Amino acid sequence: MTRRPLQLTNRLGLHARAASKLVQTASGFDCQAWLEYNGRRVNARSIMGVLLLAAPCGSELVLETSGAQDEEAADAIAELVERRFGEDQ
Amino acid sequence: MSLALTGIGVTSGIAMGRVHRLTPGELALPEYHLEADAVNTEIKRIRQAAQRGERFLGEVMARVSGRGSETARDLLEAHRLMLRDPMLIEATCERIDEQRINAEWALAQQSEQLQEEFRRLDDEYLALRREDLEQAVGLVQRELADQPTTELDSRIPHHLDHTILIASELGPAELTVLSQRRVAGLVTEHGAPYSHSAILARSLEIPMVVGVHHALELLQEGEEVIIDGHYGSVLADVDDNLRRHYAEKLDSTLRHRNDLKRYLGRPSLTADRQPFCVYGNAELPLEFKRCLDARVDGIGLMRTEYMFLDEDLPDEQDQYRAYSTAVRTMEGRMVTIRTLDAGGDKLPAALELTRGPNPALGLRGLRLSLSISDAFRNQLRAILRASTLGPVRILLPMLTSVAEIHQARQIIAECREQLRNEGLQIDPALPVGGMIETPAAALDIEHMAPELDFLAIGTNDLTQYVLAVDRQDELVSHIYDPTHRGILELIARIVEAGRRHEREVTVCGELAGDAQAVRMLLGLGVNHFSLPPAQVGAVKKSLIECSSRRCRELVESYRTGNGLLHGHDLLAALAEDR
Repeated sequence: MTRRPLQLTNRLGLHARAASKLVQTASGFDCQAWLEYNGRRVNARSIMGVLLLAAPCGSELVLETSGAQDEEAADAIAELVERRFGEDQ
Repeated sequence: MSLALTGIGVTSGIAMGRVHRLTPGELALPEYHLEADAVNTEIKRIRQAAQRGERFLGEVMARVSGRGSETARDLLEAHRLMLRDPMLIEATCERIDEQRINAEWALAQQSEQLQEEFRRLDDEYLALRREDLEQAVGLVQRELADQPTTELDSRIPHHLDHTILIASELGPAELTVLSQRRVAGLVTEHGAPYSHSAILARSLEIPMVVGVHHALELLQEGEEVIIDGHYGSVLADVDDNLRRHYAEKLDSTLRHRNDLKRYLGRPSLTADRQPFCVYGNAELPLEFKRCLDARVDGIGLMRTEYMFLDEDLPDEQDQYRAYSTAVRTMEGRMVTIRTLDAGGDKLPAALELTRGPNPALGLRGLRLSLSISDAFRNQLRAILRASTLGPVRILLPMLTSVAEIHQARQIIAECREQLRNEGLQIDPALPVGGMIETPAAALDIEHMAPELDFLAIGTNDLTQYVLAVDRQDELVSHIYDPTHRGILELIARIVEAGRRHEREVTVCGELAGDAQAVRMLLGLGVNHFSLPPAQVGAVKKSLIECSSRRCRELVESYRTGNGLLHGHDLLAALAEDR
C-alpha cells in the first residue's frame, strides 16, 4: 500500500476533463486507488466520486493505492497531477 | 376542427407524417425484498444489465458518423463512464447485498443518493452531469425491466421516413438511432430546449418539439400529424386545408431553396457587370461543408467563441485541430479566423471573470484577449500553425485604437518567431485585419486602415454603439435601425478609406445576409460580403439582378435627403430594381 500527498496546481482543479483523465489512469492498473480531500474519501476509479470531491486548484489531496500495481499506479497518477493533467496553463 | 398541442420548438423545421408512439411500456420499477439465496442472482442481473447498456452505447458510438457525430460521441462517452462507475453499479450491488432488496429498487436508491449529492454541490456544470446520470440509470432500468433500449431495433420499424415519433423522453443514444433510421420528426412530453437531446436534434437537423404534455395519451398510433418547430406546435386531426397549407409551405421552402440554388454557381457579377465577392460565415465543420456547397469564395468569418464555452480553456492542440479542419475543408480558399470575440454577457466560464457594470462597454473582444495574453498566444499559435496548410487570415475583433493593433501585431510576431525556432516557417505577410465596429474605429479609419491588411465591418455592433441602442432591450429595440443615415455615413467612410489605402472591405454583420440590405451596401461601394451559407443563394440572386449604378443613385438620394426620406423607403426602392 502507498499513501502520498498530491497538490492540484492546474487552474481548474478536479473538473470534468481532469477528473476523467484521472479516472482513466487509475483504472489502467491492477490495484485499488482512493483519494481523500476535505474529510471525504472516494474511489479514484469513479468519475462521479472524483467529480463530487469538487477539489479546486491548490487543494492538498491524499492518494492511497493498494494492490499488485500500487506503486506504478501512484506514480502515474502523481505524474498526471504534476503535469497539470496536460492542460495548457 | 383540428387539435393543436403546444410545446417548445427545438428546431425550426416542419415535418409531416404518421404517429409512432414509443411507449416505455410503463417502465416497471418493482420493489421487493429478497430471500438470502437470491442475492447473488440479483447482483449478477444488474451487472449484466449494466454491461448490456455499455455494449449498446459502444455500438451506437461506432455507428455514428457525419452530421453531429462529435456531439453525439461526447454525450455517449459520458454515459458509458457512468455505467462503469463503481459508485453506481458496485454501490447498487452492495445495497442489494446489505438490504436484501431487488436490483431496480437498489439502483433507484443509489441513483437518488447520487442525485442528491450533485444537487448539494450547486454547480451549474455538475447539474448537466445529473442529466447524464439520469439517462445512464434509465438505460440500466430499461435493461432490468427487459425493455432495453437495445430493443429499439425490434420495437420500432427500421424505416421511419414519414414517421413522427412520440416519446415520453429521448436520450442522446436513442435519438442517434432514430436519426439513422431517418425519422421525420420528434415529439417528447418532457425535456428542455437546452437538454443534450435538444442540442443533438439541432445538430442533426431533425424537427423536434419538446415539453408537449400528455402527447402519448392525446395522439393516436398511425394518425397523421404535423409538427411546426417554429411555433413549437403539434397539429393533429389534420383536415384538407391544413394539410394543403403545410404541404405548400414545405414545398415552397424546398422549391425556393432549389430556385436559389441555381444562383450558387453563377459568376458574381451585378447586372451592370460589377464584380462582387461572397464569403461564408462558419464555425463548426458541418458549416464549412455547407459553405463549400454554396460555392463561396472563402470564409469571411470563422467565429471561435464556441471553443471557449467549456469549463476548460481549449488548448493549442484542440484549436489547431479545429482550424486545420476548416482550412483543409475549404480546399485552398481563404479562411478568415477571428480571434476570441467574447465579452459582454458571454465571458468564458473558465476565465472566472466577473462582469463589469456595463458589459457592452467592458472587457470584450481584443481587449479581453490582450488581458489574457497566454490564452491569446495559444490561439494565435494554433492559427499560425494552421496557416501552413492553406490560405489563412487573422481577424481582430472590437478595435478602438491603433495602439491595440500594434500590441496585437507584436504578439503575433513573437508567436511567429517562436514557431520559427520550433522549426515551422510562417508566412510573415499573413494578413491581419480588424473588425471595424466601434464608432472610434470608424471615425479614425484614416489612421487605422494603413495598419491593417483588410477591414471587416461588423454592422450589428456598429449600429448598437452608434445609435446607443441595445437590441435585446424591448423598450428601445424599435430604435435599432441599421439603415440610419449615421450608420451609412460611417460605412461610406470606411469604404472610402479602404479604397484609398487599397484594403479589402468586407461586411460581415447581419446586413450582409439580408437580400435587400446588400443592395444598400452595394450602393455604398461595398463589394465583399460575408454571410451564413444558407443565405448565399438569396443574396447572390439579389446582387446578380441589380444594377450597382442604380443602387448608388438610390443610396445617394437617401443620404442627401433629397428624395428618399426613410430607410424603409430606400430598401423598398432598391428591391424594385431588377
